[in-house]
Amino acid sequence: MYGLEAINANNGWATSVVGITIVFSGLVVLSLVISQLYKALDLYENPQKIRDWFSRAKRSDKFLETEVPLFVLTEEQKEIIKQFALLVRTLEDHFSLPRLFELAQISGVKNFHSNLNILLKSAIIFPDKEGFFCWDQDMYIKTISNRNSLKKMEDNRK
Amino acid sequence: MEALFLQFFHNTGFYLCDYRNIIMILVGIIFVYLGIAKDYEPLLLVPIGFGMLIGNIPIFTGLGLGIYEPNSVLHYLYFGVTQGIYPPLIFLGIGAMTDFSTLLSRPVLMLLGAAAQAGVFITFLGALALGFAPHEAASIGIIGGADGPTAIFLTAKLAPQLIGPIAVAAYSYMALVPVIQPPIMRLLTTRKERLIRMEEPREVSKREKIIFPIVAFLLCCFLAPAALPLLGMLCFGNLLKEAVVTERLAVTARTTIIDTATILLGVTVGASTQGDVFLTSSSVGIFVLGAGSFCVATATGVLFAKFMNLFLKSKINPLLGAAGVSAVPDSARVVQVVGQQEDPTNFLLMHAMAPNVSGVIGSAIAAGVLWSLMASKVM
Repeated sequence: MYGLEAINANNGWATSVVGITIVFSGLVVLSLVISQLYKALDLYENPQKIRDWFSRAKRSDKFLETEVPLFVLTEEQKEIIKQFALLVRTLEDHFSLPRLFELAQISGVKNFHSNLNILLKSAIIFPDKEGFFCWDQDMYIKTISNRNSLKKMEDNRK
Repeated sequence: MEALFLQFFHNTGFYLCDYRNIIMILVGIIFVYLGIAKDYEPLLLVPIGFGMLIGNIPIFTGLGLGIYEPNSVLHYLYFGVTQGIYPPLIFLGIGAMTDFSTLLSRPVLMLLGAAAQAGVFITFLGALALGFAPHEAASIGIIGGADGPTAIFLTAKLAPQLIGPIAVAAYSYMALVPVIQPPIMRLLTTRKERLIRMEEPREVSKREKIIFPIVAFLLCCFLAPAALPLLGMLCFGNLLKEAVVTERLAVTARTTIIDTATILLGVTVGASTQGDVFLTSSSVGIFVLGAGSFCVATATGVLFAKFMNLFLKSKINPLLGAAGVSAVPDSARVVQVVGQQEDPTNFLLMHAMAPNVSGVIGSAIAAGVLWSLMASKVM
């Protein structure tokens, strides 16, 4: 028997389809597993991330529940914070606070001590736990647009 | 005295010689030449080529010299082939040599190794159409996996009478990868596609590398248990390499064990190509199908890479698809060469190793699947 007749008689089409499907699904599953492997290992090596993740979820729940503003920024403070935002853009993503302090001083930002303190308290600037600080753009926008109170954001960061 | 002299003459190779032995001796010499002078897979072609010379010295049966005669030395050595002992040992060594980093850093490239296995099943259909029995067709189809040990392993289980032609076809085409693949790769890709640069792979941690062989082994062998001897040894060899504390065993696996197994396998497979057994019409069919199988595997790999590019944000160079055939590392080297012909500053070798090693896993799974589907037809 030859040709299509032989293929049909020996169930060739079905064998081929089953075979390639098994090979393909095996390698697809394996590639999916190994694509997630490094993420799982990262969580295993840094269990803090899991705790952070859960606590952040809890905090965001609280954030939605409480909507009472306790701190109100004046228009002048908002302007100063905008000036800080411009200064931060000239720095790396992870910057040193003394450097920002120095830039604010050179640029003549008013009351930079106390306003920097507001930025820290409002968590617009937050420590990266490696000795440097980062800028939280979302928090900055929320603060400037006055949709949320500083106090509430402070609680949220804690 | 004259009678004794005549009796001795009748036992010499000159008297017993058959034209088929001469043809096979010439083929053996060509293999040795290609291996030594042209550097085409010398570690395989030289032992196989010399094995052909050994196997085609005309002898009269009864002296216990031929590979097919029980109790002959060659027959005992050939036992490792017919019982599928050498291929898993070679896989152990391959595992101990292979670095899966690029595969781990971009697992999506594994699909190219899977796509290239389509060649195996398309050739299986072709072999059925040419009148081969299903278990023989499965053994012929696996040539498309471009993996000599896997082809020998499966053939030993399903169609031991075809080991000689299938092994010779598989290794010959593996050696000819630099000749067979480039025209197909160029034909199926545009210049723009060949110029695509790959993203820098991320760094892979040691822990990931250690866990990978265990995860890969468990997943693949639960799916296709018949792939256990090959994948088990491949993954075990890789674990020995990555575990570091077993470095001594890894060194033995990737040097002494693989070299010994390759020598024994090469020589005995070569010796099994005795003219009267090898030069048949079915051998010609196997060679034709084997060549087709390699071409189809290369083409499906390249075409699948182009198909993936329709969905991927970060495009992959479709030449990488050709490395899905598991001729390690030749097909990856071919990808590098073809890529560099378009852009000498484009380095694709490292990226091509990912589909290349996934092709090894894919062909072992394909062999396992074919074995389990055909086992009932052999028994």
